[in-house]
Amino acid sequence: MRWKLWLLMAPALLWLLAIFAAPMLHYAWLSTQAETVLTGLQPRPVGAEQWLRLWNDARFWQDTWQTLRFSAVSVLLEMVLGLAMALLLHQPLRGRGALRTISLLPWALPTTVMALGWRWIFNDPYGPINQLLQGLGLSGVPFLSDPAITWLAAVWADTWKTTPFVALLLLAGLQNIPADLYEAAALEGAGAWQSLRRITLPLLTPYLLIALLFRLAQALGVFDLIQVLTGGGPAGSTESLALYAYLNAMRFLDFGYSATVMLGSFAVLLVVAALAGLAFQWSRTTQAEELR
Amino acid sequence: MARLALLIWSLGPMVWQLYTSLRPTEALTGGLGGGLGGPGGWTFAHYQQLLHGNPPFQIYLLNSALVGASSTALTLALAVPCAYALSRLGRNASRSLSLLVAAAAAFPAVLLFLALLELARNWHLANNLLALSLPYAGLCLPLAILLLQASFRDIPMELEEAAVMEGMGLWQRLRWVLLPLMTPAMASAALLIFIFCWNEYPIALTWLSRSDLLTLAPAMARIAGSSVYTIPYGAFAAATVLGSAPLILLMLLFQRQIISGLTQGAIKG
Amino acid sequence: MTQSLNTSTAAGLRLRELSRRVQQQTLLDRLTLEVAPGEILALLGPSGCGKSTTLRLIAGLDRASSGEIELGGAVITHLPPAQRQVAMVFQSYALFPHLSVERNLSLGMELRGVPRADIARDLEQVLALLQLEGLRQRRPAELSGGQRQRVALARALLRKPALFLLDEPMSNLDAQLREDLRGELRTLLRSTGVPVVYVTHDQHEAMGLADRIAVLREGRLQQIGTAAELYNTPTNRFVASFLGNPSINLIETPERQLGLRPERLKLAPAGSSCEAGWSMLEGTISHREWLGDRVITHVQCPGQGSLKVVGDAGQAAGPVQVRWRHEDALSFERDGGGRLLPLTTRSQ
Repeated sequence: MRWKLWLLMAPALLWLLAIFAAPMLHYAWLSTQAETVLTGLQPRPVGAEQWLRLWNDARFWQDTWQTLRFSAVSVLLEMVLGLAMALLLHQPLRGRGALRTISLLPWALPTTVMALGWRWIFNDPYGPINQLLQGLGLSGVPFLSDPAITWLAAVWADTWKTTPFVALLLLAGLQNIPADLYEAAALEGAGAWQSLRRITLPLLTPYLLIALLFRLAQALGVFDLIQVLTGGGPAGSTESLALYAYLNAMRFLDFGYSATVMLGSFAVLLVVAALAGLAFQWSRTTQAEELR
Repeated sequence: MARLALLIWSLGPMVWQLYTSLRPTEALTGGLGGGLGGPGGWTFAHYQQLLHGNPPFQIYLLNSALVGASSTALTLALAVPCAYALSRLGRNASRSLSLLVAAAAAFPAVLLFLALLELARNWHLANNLLALSLPYAGLCLPLAILLLQASFRDIPMELEEAAVMEGMGLWQRLRWVLLPLMTPAMASAALLIFIFCWNEYPIALTWLSRSDLLTLAPAMARIAGSSVYTIPYGAFAAATVLGSAPLILLMLLFQRQIISGLTQGAIKG
Repeated sequence: MTQSLNTSTAAGLRLRELSRRVQQQTLLDRLTLEVAPGEILALLGPSGCGKSTTLRLIAGLDRASSGEIELGGAVITHLPPAQRQVAMVFQSYALFPHLSVERNLSLGMELRGVPRADIARDLEQVLALLQLEGLRQRRPAELSGGQRQRVALARALLRKPALFLLDEPMSNLDAQLREDLRGELRTLLRSTGVPVVYVTHDQHEAMGLADRIAVLREGRLQQIGTAAELYNTPTNRFVASFLGNPSINLIETPERQLGLRPERLKLAPAGSSCEAGWSMLEGTISHREWLGDRVITHVQCPGQGSLKVVGDAGQAAGPVQVRWRHEDALSFERDGGGRLLPLTTRSQ
């Protein structure tokens, strides 16, 4: 009986290994090979050379910083807005089903499609936001051409697209909280804010954690949005790690180094995920102590 | 009030695209005085330009639909037996496997593109829409397995045992008892997989180069980077509208299944 | 009862030293018993006593760690469930929710390759027998609890089993219906002519339905016998307390524990003298439960706690004497709980 179960799982598990694990192993090998135009696109062993290059690559570290900055801000925004949206969608109001569907629409659209849309919305001076600002007598904002601002435009577009996803995850959690807990709290004289803090948030913790980790991993791999919205510019100010790895392979035809960057990005991802998990654990225990 | 804000936040950008796509180019860039309600009237020119382009825009939609459908079928074929077995496995084994699968679900797929590209090159899979299902199925498997596994767990054990007592073998139980009960879950999973494949970008970008084989996502990026449209925002907007419409339709038609799929995934994940 | 559904076999069910262990835990410990063809045996005990485990072992849904199961003269211990000729009615009835009553009944036969004509014939028969003709197109969700039970029974009958297993088939019904159905179910099961094993935690159900009852506790068989045997001559304190409602009174004496059935106790005016062959305790009535046909009087006896006395309505409060015949008292070992032989027998 047992071996039958493993037999049923085998195709899918092997498939997963082939698609997820094998590439990582391949990168590990490729990162020790030079495979560029100079080598005729044939692998040539170079040992740890490319890892040293990565370590000294200012552009890699700049992209790491930019990716972290983008991820931290957009995920934070998505969590906060997502929670607010979930609470709103949880209210027993008329037209709730329709509102849920509509608010989920941004998530369902292809990133490249909406990235192109945002490019037009952020346009200076003809986009609607700048038109509006000008209509109010204010000066326009160069959303996509000022290195200090453009990354925020990317955050904005990303938040718009993925907040509904976070909201829906949290909504699932809200629906799992028994209503009589709130009734009991109300009988004890708890207000809305106290209910949220004492009941909703603690019971929502596992969902918040899932949403946080999932979104963080996805944000650290941001690619589609950046490539179409800004192309990494202006002046490389929005280039993400994934985009850098992509450019190394597809533009500079430096496959060995691209694999090294890929693994470097993965390492960053692992470190951040571990830190986020730990921080979450820590905030949970302190919160529990506080409640005690 | 809050609901209105949510509506504007969600729909505003889309409505703006729709508006733009129907306005003549001069009206958009202020040639006619600009402004939101400026003169210039309405036009379908942007759409006509897209639909009569080379290749015509609708081919991208068809390509995406084809890749989406074949990937969904392949993913389900792999995921259903796996999810079943996972749900019937002992708690510990199932727990640790599920955790690995969940980690794979969160993994940013873009980090895989280089290795997958080499795969395509070595096995001559590039520019083959159906072959694109191979990596797509792999990318969608984690989510599909988690979702389906949760639903298999929801089917009472006694039901399957009753089928065993009736003398049904594993295949018969799946075919006649379990899968019919799994239809809603499989529909949810299929829709989510389809949406993912429809939207997937980095792998399609690197596997497909022939313009008549592009799926929607890389086609959009190519349009964005092209210089064919000199002041192209009307055409851009028309492209976003056309590119969004099928999915919006899908969402509206199957909102229940999609939302329940997502929430189920969250509860069990 | 129609002949074709009758599949009586010469030899019944035999369990020999049947055990199931999962990791360190012993779920069933060397159970040995027999069920004759046409006999209904109830497995009775609290949850976790091993009664459901026993049923699942016989059905083949779980694997026996050791011991043997024999049915109709053949050892079936290691056969897969499908080859055991065993039918089972599940606690939840486990009807396939997506199929009509008719398809629920016929699916198994179709997949087993029973000829179409035979399926139709058997189906008509069993639908008529269980009065399900009018419900054949309904889905399980559209049936009442009692109807679902009948469909589950019908499905089991159609297997033409050599053995019937029922896992708490009444627990999803309300109390009134349960009592009404008991007689019907008994007649139906009896008419199949095959051994029946019936799992329940409800002593009334066991006593009302079964020919014999096996009481289990923590995976061990405590006693097997007719309801009267278990009630009157329990082997130990556990069996004595598990059967009977209200449950048996236990009082301490210097050398043993006495079990006193509430209906064998008599109330007398406080301080009255005791006849020979009787014992008594003085106490105070704490409260009474009026149950229509009888009254349970709770008497607080210093040093012994509360005693329940079943009888007619009498005194409502105040001091009272509780008395009983010596031969009505069951005595148990203080520590082991095993029953000691009556004093009269022992002294001979």
